[in-house]
Amino acid sequence: MPDAVPALEARHISKTFGELEVLRDISLVVNPGDTISVLGPSGSGKSTMLRCLNFLETPDRGQVLLAGEPVGRRADGRLVSDKELAKSRARMGMVFQSFNLWPHFTVLQNVIEAPTKVLGLSKDEAVARAEGLLAKVGLADKRDVYPFALSGGQKQRVAIARALCMKPDVLLFDEPTSALDPELVGEVLAVMRDLAKEGMTMVVVTHEMGFARDVCDEVVFMDRGVVVEHAPPAEFFGNPKTERAQRFLSRYA
Amino acid sequence: MTGTELQMLLSGAWTTVWISAIAIVGGVPLGLVLGLGRVAGIPVLSQLLALYISIGRATPLVTLVLLLFVGLPVVGINIDAVTAGVLTLLLNTATFNAEIWRSVYQSFPRGQIEAAQAVGMQKGAIFRRIMLPQMSVAALPGLMNEATLLVKASPAIAVIGIVDLTRVTDRISARTYEPLPPIIAAGIIYMIIIAGMVRLQRVLEKRAAKWSA
Amino acid sequence: MDWDLITNSILFNPAEWEIVLNEWPRFMRGFSNTLTLFAVSVVGAFLLGAVIVNLMASRNPSVRAAGRVYVDGMRMLPFLIFAYLLYYGLPSLGIRMSAWTAGLLGLILYHAAYVAEILRGAWSQLPAGQTEAARAMGFHGPQLFLRIVLPQLVLGSAPILGNQLIYMLKDTAFLMIITVQDLTYAANSVQSMYFVPLQPFIVAIGLYWISTLAIEGLVFLVGRFARKRGLGRA
Repeated sequence: MPDAVPALEARHISKTFGELEVLRDISLVVNPGDTISVLGPSGSGKSTMLRCLNFLETPDRGQVLLAGEPVGRRADGRLVSDKELAKSRARMGMVFQSFNLWPHFTVLQNVIEAPTKVLGLSKDEAVARAEGLLAKVGLADKRDVYPFALSGGQKQRVAIARALCMKPDVLLFDEPTSALDPELVGEVLAVMRDLAKEGMTMVVVTHEMGFARDVCDEVVFMDRGVVVEHAPPAEFFGNPKTERAQRFLSRYA
Repeated sequence: MTGTELQMLLSGAWTTVWISAIAIVGGVPLGLVLGLGRVAGIPVLSQLLALYISIGRATPLVTLVLLLFVGLPVVGINIDAVTAGVLTLLLNTATFNAEIWRSVYQSFPRGQIEAAQAVGMQKGAIFRRIMLPQMSVAALPGLMNEATLLVKASPAIAVIGIVDLTRVTDRISARTYEPLPPIIAAGIIYMIIIAGMVRLQRVLEKRAAKWSA
Repeated sequence: MDWDLITNSILFNPAEWEIVLNEWPRFMRGFSNTLTLFAVSVVGAFLLGAVIVNLMASRNPSVRAAGRVYVDGMRMLPFLIFAYLLYYGLPSLGIRMSAWTAGLLGLILYHAAYVAEILRGAWSQLPAGQTEAARAMGFHGPQLFLRIVLPQLVLGSAPILGNQLIYMLKDTAFLMIITVQDLTYAANSVQSMYFVPLQPFIVAIGLYWISTLAIEGLVFLVGRFARKRGLGRA
């Protein structure tokens, strides 16, 4: 779909933390329905890049566009209001490495909080939607449980349901399986695989090479704050062009 | 001690209880406002609050209640003893509560706030729905501990003539010429009050912690 | 609130500040009494607290219980009612003390309970293996406690002990109610003699504040020393 407006686009994003330049002129195009995985060694800036997309980190320079509309910053460069930014964020779901469920809410309350308070859904509507999603991630029976009683994999699946319940246009994943015990990684990846198949638009920062190779439409490889390669998975894994990517793959793949 | 004296004792106890209760109930939200104001990073205000809290922590209640009761009328604020007493306890407990609130605010997990931002919640809603309920539970032991300290410091208001549970023992012994029984009785009543508060704290903590392992 | 009055009467009334200045020796006597009460009661409460914490760790259950009852009992009482007991109550039993003695004794007995509870908390955090190791090397009794256990308890609980020091300083002010001539007593006398109601108390609060800052500074240094030795909370 070359003519379609990208679901999400980043243009020339830069970010420094003090002296350290973590992102240098990053650009990224995510087309509707695509799943993009962002790979790279730790410290490459990939998580910071992802967090710039919904302005959890404010990029120093550059633009983010959600379905063509600016996020976080107006065209003249000024930051938007808290309220306006919240509206954009409501259209992008995010799943964190450390789940970040709200411990004082039950599973169901975690999932319906934002749909009722931010989108203004009635409680019945939100509950119906949430129950469907909890069933989909295989946790229908956990709806009234508090997060402390869940395993890491279950927590992460609730976090995915929480993000999905907003019916977002794009889902951002920040190393969603890195904090999990190895035996729990599979259940989370399976849910993500299903979402990709259903045509959900996703940007996934990950270390799971299998997922990147089999599920994603495109791979973005970052190192030291820049995008080094950008290719379909078959090409990236089969025939990496740069020496940095070759070294990375020889170590992790 | 006769019936009249017992009645005096109980009325002194009641004075201690209600004056302390007002200070505690008011001091918790006031402390929250002061504590948040201190970390808000508003240039002059945050420094002023830090100074106020530092001085407030160092000021004995006896000195403060004298300052307010004797000093405020001079600057055109007429204040009766009971108001001065309540105000003293309120200001004092609020400074300690401010530090408790500040510390639970500063140790609140960032990730939960980010998760709320990521689903489009705004500052007010994040504070009300996500932070405040959890901060309240985290602050509860500290706030209750401070409340018992307040009750134990409350006899300071006797110095300006309020007949609280401590001062009433003077009144009773002026009638009976036997100071020991009313003092011991007052001590026992204080113990009952404090023990009740410790008990309440355990009940509240148990109830508040249903969502933590 | 009348701001003109405030600025006139507090900040720009040299006559009233002159009274305070003329009465400065009185403030200093009160302040030095406050500091003396504080210093003596800190040492006393600390020594007694160290004894009580040993009672609470005793192998004899009734000794343990006695320590517990003492500590919990004091912690449920306001300091002032305890001072009342010593100064106004005990003469009924034929025990008479000056206000100064009663006040000082009150501070020591009362705060020893708090010190003991703080030390007990720190002791329960101490790995058991350490005292065993010390025992294996032949340490025992008071020597074991003083040389091995106590220094760690003090360093490990420096911030909480520091808070307790501040409470002790502030509790000295209660003693003016039983006629001890401390700093607050001095401020109140100046106030009532000359009817300058604000300045004396502002001066007194300033002196309490400076003392508290000094205590906090000292505690900070001890805490830093403790962390260097790997003790206490980071």
